[in-house]
Amino acid sequence: MKTLLAALAACLIALVHAAPAAAQEKSAVRPGFVLKPGSANILLLRPKISVGAQSTAGAFEPNADWTDQARENLGRALDAAQTKLGNRVVAAGDPVGPAARTLAEYQALFETVAGTVIEYQFFPGNRLPTKKRAGTFDWTLGPGVAALAAESGCEFALFVITEDQYGSTGRKVLQIFAALARVPISSGVHKGYAGLIDLRTGDLVWLNVDQQMGGDVRDAEGAAKRIGQLLEDFPGRPPAVAAPEPKR
Amino acid sequence: MLAVATPGELPPYAGAYQPQTKDERGLWMQSDEEERIVRDSAFVIRDAALNAYLRDVLCRAVGTARCEGVRIHIVRDAAFNANMSPNGFMRVFTGALLRIRDEAELASMLGHEFAHFELRHTLVGFKQERHAHNLAIWAGLLGGGSAIGVQLALIGSTYEFSRAQETEADMLSSRFLEVAGFDRQCAADLWQRIADETDETARGRRQRSQRYDPVGFLATHPTNLTRMRYLAAAAADQPSGRRTGQEAYRAAMKPWRALLLADQLKRNDFAGTEYLLGQLAQDGWTEELLFARGELYRLRRHPRDLVAAARFYTDAIALDPKHAESQRGLGLALLRSGEVERGRLALRRYLELVPAASDAPMLATLLS
Repeated sequence: MKTLLAALAACLIALVHAAPAAAQEKSAVRPGFVLKPGSANILLLRPKISVGAQSTAGAFEPNADWTDQARENLGRALDAAQTKLGNRVVAAGDPVGPAARTLAEYQALFETVAGTVIEYQFFPGNRLPTKKRAGTFDWTLGPGVAALAAESGCEFALFVITEDQYGSTGRKVLQIFAALARVPISSGVHKGYAGLIDLRTGDLVWLNVDQQMGGDVRDAEGAAKRIGQLLEDFPGRPPAVAAPEPKR
Repeated sequence: MLAVATPGELPPYAGAYQPQTKDERGLWMQSDEEERIVRDSAFVIRDAALNAYLRDVLCRAVGTARCEGVRIHIVRDAAFNANMSPNGFMRVFTGALLRIRDEAELASMLGHEFAHFELRHTLVGFKQERHAHNLAIWAGLLGGGSAIGVQLALIGSTYEFSRAQETEADMLSSRFLEVAGFDRQCAADLWQRIADETDETARGRRQRSQRYDPVGFLATHPTNLTRMRYLAAAAADQPSGRRTGQEAYRAAMKPWRALLLADQLKRNDFAGTEYLLGQLAQDGWTEELLFARGELYRLRRHPRDLVAAARFYTDAIALDPKHAESQRGLGLALLRSGEVERGRLALRRYLELVPAASDAPMLATLLS
């Protein structure tokens, strides 16, 4: 009885800072979309990178140094990965005036659409019946997105979002004690997704989501591994020659 | 807490502050990212004159040394609110600008938000919350059945801490106003009107008034009544003849009134909006206010409301025959009441005044 109450109480607090339980990875390509390796000019929008610690109770503690390191490392790893595919990556600059507002709107729209795909199509729990059918992947940001690349000469836009919460010492200790009381407590959150938009039509041609990513983004090697996972099933990628990497 | 210097002076301000600890730098980084998004948002009002005016009032309220580290963004949201981030990024909602009556009230609100920044409330609150929740989760794991009480106390302490911070910010804001020479009673008057408006909204929605309710367990702010009382007490001993700046505020907000009233009407709050319009009309009903009142009644659409709306629109037109929107409202209200001829006449006048109106084709079909 006491253990049950302890479990209930711990879950009550854990729910206050709930980490998602989905341990899945999924990607999709728009049916009929083909990208020849080495042919694309890709506009990379400013990646949304958030790195911090997870407190004992599960709250997010932002860390500016780790986020800066991650931004640097992921940027370099992304460049290297796309060069390997032969594609040219152009980093989107910081526009001024109305162009800035358009960019902000499309970034928000992408996150909304990607969030909708994750919630209502990719993972079990809330999937819409029409989206469960095999081969359905029909999402778009609308043709207006072409305004983003008017001057850069790119045909595609790449969005990258990652979030990392490294479990603090207290969290890991709590995890051990909780395991003794048979209460499941997770430590660390490593989520990310990446999407490719065809700037000519506005279609979302590729989306890859991973709720449990590997690679420590604070160092270069880990960032390379993370980018490898984010760009999994990237259209135009030559068939994998190495064995699939084990997930951490 | 801010050390009290000689009366009439505030302690010197360091200025150009850079965040020091790991937590503080993390929070500033997070706020910087949020500011990037809000800065480019479609919901921010970028008008140079209005932004300069708010900035000027802030600098007069807290002093030029302090106001340099702050960036104010005016967000188009009809709620009465304002926010402050730890990196000096302040958001003022247009709903607040609609309800505020003079510069003293504006200064009290901007000063309150600045006080959160100066006293580093976000950082301190973040650390307190982290500590309390860490203790709570350990208590839950180790304490067994009796842990619930401990956990509730710890969680409650976070909200109590937040309320204490809000009171601290109110008191510091009052101090800023004292030094700057503004009338400090206005801060209390503002909360009085907000409390009255909340009561009206509740009455209109057939809900219980919460004016005299004790503060809730999850309340992050003290009740409106509490704030009204302690702000009035703080202002009780002030000398007479302090500045309110009503004329200057009214002049600065005049071009924005119509937009803010239109946003307020969309909140579907009949009684609260009616109260607010009554307050705004204390120095006389302008055509804008009469038009807004007409819209309010017309949109509720009871048969007798349409008659009242028609009267308000007619009064607005009497004040300004070129007020096209009133002609439109009058026409639609009359048509819906069954007065077809008079309705069509009003709509025709509207289309004469605004031939390129976005709904001209639709209205034209009503005229045939």
